[in-house]
Amino acid sequence: MTADPPPILHVDLDAFYATAEQVRDPRLRGKAMAVGEGVIMAASYEARRFGVRSAMSTAVARRLCPGLIVVGGHFEDYSRLSTTVFDICAEFTPVVEQISIDEAFLDVSGALHLFGSSVAIAGELRRRVRHDTGLVLSVGVASTKFLAKVASRVAKPDGLVVVDPPTEIAFLHALPATAIWGVGRATETRLGELGIGTVGQLANTDPTTLRHHLGRSAGGHLHALAWNRDPRPVVTSHRVKSVGAQSAFGRGGTDPAVRHRVLVDLADRVGRRLRAKELAGRTVTARIRFDDMTAITRSATLKAPIATTPAIVSLAVRLAEEGIAAVAAGRVINLLGIAVSQLSSSPHLQLELPFGEAPGEGVQRAGSVQERARHELDLAIDALRSRFGTDAVGPASLVLGGRTGSVPDAFRDLATRDR
Amino acid sequence: MRIRAERDDLADVLGRAARAVSNRSPLPILQGVLCEVEGGRLRVTGTDGEITIRTSLQVEALEEGRTLVPAKLVAEAVRKLPAGAVAMSSAGGQVEITGNGPRFRLRELNVDDYPATAPKATSGGITMDGDLLTRALNQVGVAASGDDARPTLTGVLFEADEEGSRLVATDGYRLAVRDLAGAENFPTTLVPNRALKEVSRTIGDSKITVDLGEREATFGSERGSMTVRVIEGAFPPYRHFFGSFPNRLTVPREALLDAVGRASLVAEDHIPVRLNLHQGGVELSITRQEVGEETEHIEGDFQGEDMTIAFNVRYLTDGVAAVVGDDVVIHATDPVKPGLVTGTDEEGFRYLLMPVRV
Repeated sequence: MTADPPPILHVDLDAFYATAEQVRDPRLRGKAMAVGEGVIMAASYEARRFGVRSAMSTAVARRLCPGLIVVGGHFEDYSRLSTTVFDICAEFTPVVEQISIDEAFLDVSGALHLFGSSVAIAGELRRRVRHDTGLVLSVGVASTKFLAKVASRVAKPDGLVVVDPPTEIAFLHALPATAIWGVGRATETRLGELGIGTVGQLANTDPTTLRHHLGRSAGGHLHALAWNRDPRPVVTSHRVKSVGAQSAFGRGGTDPAVRHRVLVDLADRVGRRLRAKELAGRTVTARIRFDDMTAITRSATLKAPIATTPAIVSLAVRLAEEGIAAVAAGRVINLLGIAVSQLSSSPHLQLELPFGEAPGEGVQRAGSVQERARHELDLAIDALRSRFGTDAVGPASLVLGGRTGSVPDAFRDLATRDR
Repeated sequence: MRIRAERDDLADVLGRAARAVSNRSPLPILQGVLCEVEGGRLRVTGTDGEITIRTSLQVEALEEGRTLVPAKLVAEAVRKLPAGAVAMSSAGGQVEITGNGPRFRLRELNVDDYPATAPKATSGGITMDGDLLTRALNQVGVAASGDDARPTLTGVLFEADEEGSRLVATDGYRLAVRDLAGAENFPTTLVPNRALKEVSRTIGDSKITVDLGEREATFGSERGSMTVRVIEGAFPPYRHFFGSFPNRLTVPREALLDAVGRASLVAEDHIPVRLNLHQGGVELSITRQEVGEETEHIEGDFQGEDMTIAFNVRYLTDGVAAVVGDDVVIHATDPVKPGLVTGTDEEGFRYLLMPVRV
């Protein structure tokens, strides 16, 4: 006896940027190729066989894979293709939660009477996406978002994996612990020390032990996931919860001056996006990733929400440098990120008494004279840039120091998403 | 040391001195209160390193000496004894407290490690009406900041000029000034508000002596003394705020407080109350999306041009509540410049507050 197929789908485009390039230029099909300039953003499966991975420098990738074809990003095409794919999804169910340019969750429980089972919908989706766009869609079908995502990972490349509820625990428990999203290398090492290699072993470990070794919330969370306990529903029009940007780079990350420039650049982009949405946030988070792919985050929360570039810069720099000094002095950094969260669109602003403080003193305090003046200035800069281009005006440290990285802004803004 | 005293008196002097002791003190020795017996008096000292409170009591001194005991514990132990006479003695590293049956034995802390706390010889200070001082401190204290990120805003400024002495406090959003015309001139001193809140509780009395030194400020009375390290750094300039305000609303104080209280039922902390000032009074309104709204009108006297200004509910309430008298006056210029709350009689209290931009 089999139960009805579960209703949640995780759809994920395979090697999206690379496949999109192959769609544009059929001569690239079946070739070891990658997208990116300086840093690899996506690699075809042919290139992956040689060990080429995202976030790798182009030079390293070429060494691993002689003859690798590297092409530039055609951002508008990616964006258009992505929109087409999610429009197809929306034809099957209105409950589509897009989580990035190439991934989404779908809840099809309300659409079964129209299209039959969720498995039938998944198969039809894959066929339609390939037919209409030439892209390859892998799909995981399961009873929870968590398990659907695990299933789509197992399905790749070009596959469909359905996890029937009666067998889901057996399916999940046979997988390596790293199949759980969020188990990175650091957690894997810690689990290894506890003798945990598979999800099953994780599930059968006392949650108290996990909490003790992994932290209270992470331990409990992983244990719940190992039993497929994930209550999150698929949400259609989620409000933006944070605005962030990150930048991967080569060796420069150990140099504080380079780090500062990267953070100014990131804050500049995050601030501009916040202001474009008429949002401001109270919490600023800095993320630092090292060359062994472990990462740390540091955050601070202000009394009132801010959206100016200097306020984000000053907080992010402080957080990043404190974090690096505390745990990471001398380690090679290969990615920095900034996110602003606890967002509000409230127009109310408690003003501060104008004591006539020196410039720079009121930074990070939304109601201060300085911060309010800066907000007006940033809005004027945003307006100039949308008319004359991002390079028309900007932070002096970026203009004089040269903009960081070699990835065009348009690509980065496409690749970073607001959650 | 060995003493006998009435439970209520002993609990009182121990409890008040223990108020200075912090549970989070980095030095374990500061968890204690120092008890010294000399010449028929028990002197009790508690400190957290910043604030020091000293109290004393006439006791039946059977043996002079001194001891250091865990502050909160000894104060509570004495308080919970049956009413009547209590005996307290120290010997062999223990302090024994007995009264009408129960017997506590508490481990002594090492009294020789306790920091020197002998009160410095007072250079006189300014003696003033205790009620007047504590009322004035309460009036301005609401405006002081609790945020240690800006230390100069966590204090109350004591200062004087040709018009007399005054107290000033601000958290950057509102600023309260209280003139003390009769008082002798204060030397300019910034005293932590955290300590000033203790003045009425621990040493409040009909006469209080204020001694403002360069490093420390001491407030003393018949009931004891409180000493605190003063805040270094300059208080922000504030006098330029008190220019002329073209618009002036006078309304009954209680009516305004009640109205703001009703409006705040609808609001979260960050949602401001709007005051539409016009001939004949003020219309208050507050709107919270997805919850509802409240509006009401208070009759009053208005002079000036009709205008609307919005304030944080708590900041406005604090100011209106601090005013003494039946009527309160709201002075305003425009929706983004500071407003001013005063009374109608010349009591010398002024409360300036920045509006919320809406």
